[in-house]
Amino acid sequence: MSARLTIDKTLKLYVGGKFIRSESGRTMPIEDEDHRAVNVARGSRKDLREAIRIARAATGPWAGRTAYNRGQILYRLAEMLEGRLPSLSPGAEAAIDRVVHHAGWSDKIAAVLSALNPVSTTYVNYARMRPLGVVCAAPDPADGLLGLVEAAAANAVMGNATVLLIDARSATAAAELAEALATSDFPGGVINVLTGELAELLHHAADHDDVDGLYLAHGATASLQGELEAAGARVLRRMLVVPGAARPATPIQLQKLAEVQTVWVSAYEPQGGAPGY
Amino acid sequence: MNQQKPSDPTLKLRGALPLAPAPERCPAPVPERLGHFIGGEVVPGRDESLFTSYEPATGEPLCQVAAADAEEVDRAVTAARSAFDRVWGGMPGAERGKYLYRIARRIQERSRELAVLESRDNGKPIRETRDVDLPLVAAHFFYYAGWADKLDYAIPGQRVRPVGVAGQIIPWNFPLLMAAWKLAPALATGNTVVLKPAETTPLTAMMLAEILAEAELPPGVVNIVNGAGATGAALVDHPGVDKIAFTGSTEVGRIITRATAGSGKRLTMELGGKGANIVFADAALDQAVEGVIDGIFFNQGQVCCAGSRLLIEEGIAAAFLDRLKRRIETLRIGDPLDKNTDVGALNSVEQLQRVQRYIEIGRRQGAAVWQGSACPTPEQGYFVAPTLLTGVQQTDTVVREEIFGPVLSVLTFRTPDEAIRKANDTEYGLAASVWTEKASKLFEVAHALNSGVVWANGANLFDPASPFGGMRHSGFGREGGIAGLWPYLEIQ
Repeated sequence: MSARLTIDKTLKLYVGGKFIRSESGRTMPIEDEDHRAVNVARGSRKDLREAIRIARAATGPWAGRTAYNRGQILYRLAEMLEGRLPSLSPGAEAAIDRVVHHAGWSDKIAAVLSALNPVSTTYVNYARMRPLGVVCAAPDPADGLLGLVEAAAANAVMGNATVLLIDARSATAAAELAEALATSDFPGGVINVLTGELAELLHHAADHDDVDGLYLAHGATASLQGELEAAGARVLRRMLVVPGAARPATPIQLQKLAEVQTVWVSAYEPQGGAPGY
Repeated sequence: MNQQKPSDPTLKLRGALPLAPAPERCPAPVPERLGHFIGGEVVPGRDESLFTSYEPATGEPLCQVAAADAEEVDRAVTAARSAFDRVWGGMPGAERGKYLYRIARRIQERSRELAVLESRDNGKPIRETRDVDLPLVAAHFFYYAGWADKLDYAIPGQRVRPVGVAGQIIPWNFPLLMAAWKLAPALATGNTVVLKPAETTPLTAMMLAEILAEAELPPGVVNIVNGAGATGAALVDHPGVDKIAFTGSTEVGRIITRATAGSGKRLTMELGGKGANIVFADAALDQAVEGVIDGIFFNQGQVCCAGSRLLIEEGIAAAFLDRLKRRIETLRIGDPLDKNTDVGALNSVEQLQRVQRYIEIGRRQGAAVWQGSACPTPEQGYFVAPTLLTGVQQTDTVVREEIFGPVLSVLTFRTPDEAIRKANDTEYGLAASVWTEKASKLFEVAHALNSGVVWANGANLFDPASPFGGMRHSGFGREGGIAGLWPYLEIQ
């Protein structure tokens, strides 16, 4: 009996809600679990720049949605992943449960991290969480799909747009996430997936002035951390180094994916009414 | 409306008011020579390292200060480490808190003396040191004293421990207040400290050392090394320092970030700013005028969170500027130790020249320069009259760069969107003000600003319970409030 000739799939980048090939036209060959050769698009500096531009545009509308709605969208991603479970890599259940975990934070984390500060004057003073903006994230390849969803969901729940930088060797998990994202309700650009040479992509990200934060899994980036911090000095970039994805981000880790913004609002009625009218 | 009619009499305040001096009389002797405070002892420092600190109001020498070299910094760090290991790190929080309460009280008791010393050293009016700086210094110690035994509640769901030895480098614009902002949370959380005051304002920190000794704070918990950039670099590079907390320029913040990259040292950076002060047509305009004055002329504008860009809604711009100018012409500039003084001296001759250079750059780039005050600017000392730059563009140097002086660049806008865009069109993100009586607009604009602090119908307000710190190139980490504890805690 002659075996059916299977269809090979090149794993593409996922940027702005679209699957694209690298502008460079380059691919990297990897081996999948069945030891078959798979070609993975190799994201270039230009691809990254474009992804950052698109992520930047997505930040305002994403952060502007209600926290409830962002939670709904995250939960919908879990539904999409669950539906694809038979085709996902082993252990994907943990990744799906992690998305559900973060979905639940969406309309609660602000209550845990914000504060109403009793200042000694007639002002209402509160400290709120404000998204960082665009975060480039490098999960640990050893964490597979779980690492990807942890980085993406933690950032999404805090209102950031993310560019996931994935070593081509973990491209299978990247494709699993991207394909679920494409059928979820995530607006294009909020979570972008770039595969390629990780160190190369990280250096390009560190050199880019419009990246607000770098999210680094220790296992993926330990040897590069010094260089990345030094490059970030130019723009005083926020760095969050996480040990890995075994546990979900704690509230204080989520806090580091946001800025504390302190707002003072005068609670004092100018005497005799406002004289400017 | 607010338009001044041509028939209105013009106020001519300069020379019209008899300005009788009301000098502050509390004596505060200035030591001839300042050394360091290491391991609980005042040490004289090396003779060959002495440099002169000048009194900004007169330009005369004030005292001699020793600069610590790497070896002296090492002794300070060693003392801090030993104090951390032996007493402070493991001390029950309630006991640590009691030391901080003691220090706070002692500061209150000696606050006038400290205020006088600060005004002489820094050049800022006694009205500010007495009514703003010193009350806040004591308040910061009181506030964080109360946190010391409640750290289990500082980070949700986490057990915490101190970071270790903190190197703290502070600026000259609020010398003692910045020392308090740095020391109080560090000590409350169980860290020990090596503090480096700015080279032009060492006086009050050394008097604080006296207070710490009087409070019987265990030796080595706080060490103070004087000196300039080289001393700071020795502290930053010292391998025994676990954390650096820096307040100063963005330029130096970058250098420190680079120097510590990959070292595992934790950082907080409180850097420069170019704050926007947005005045909508529906604001309470008299209050807004006061706010703009406070925003830019408080401490001669040498404030990282100064409202140095005034954005006025176009329809009221001319009338608002008239009001602002009239108010500026009532500001008294001169002797910082005169209780009537509104505007004192800039801190150093370098700062004076820097501000003058920026005014000149503004002029060359086409700005109209207007200066006003109620009395002539003193000829001796480092004084610059309150300055408005009008006719400037978003791209002008004086609109983009931090001047750190009493110089306000004036721009206009038409819509809230334009105001937000212009306010955010800067690499900084420290503080901003919004003036409107319309609540919905107020919240929308306030939340849209890339700014760590937003004052809605206010300016330059500070409180120990209120987190302060920047976004973007203005740095990271917060000082004040519960968020001010986070940079000094490790998760257990």
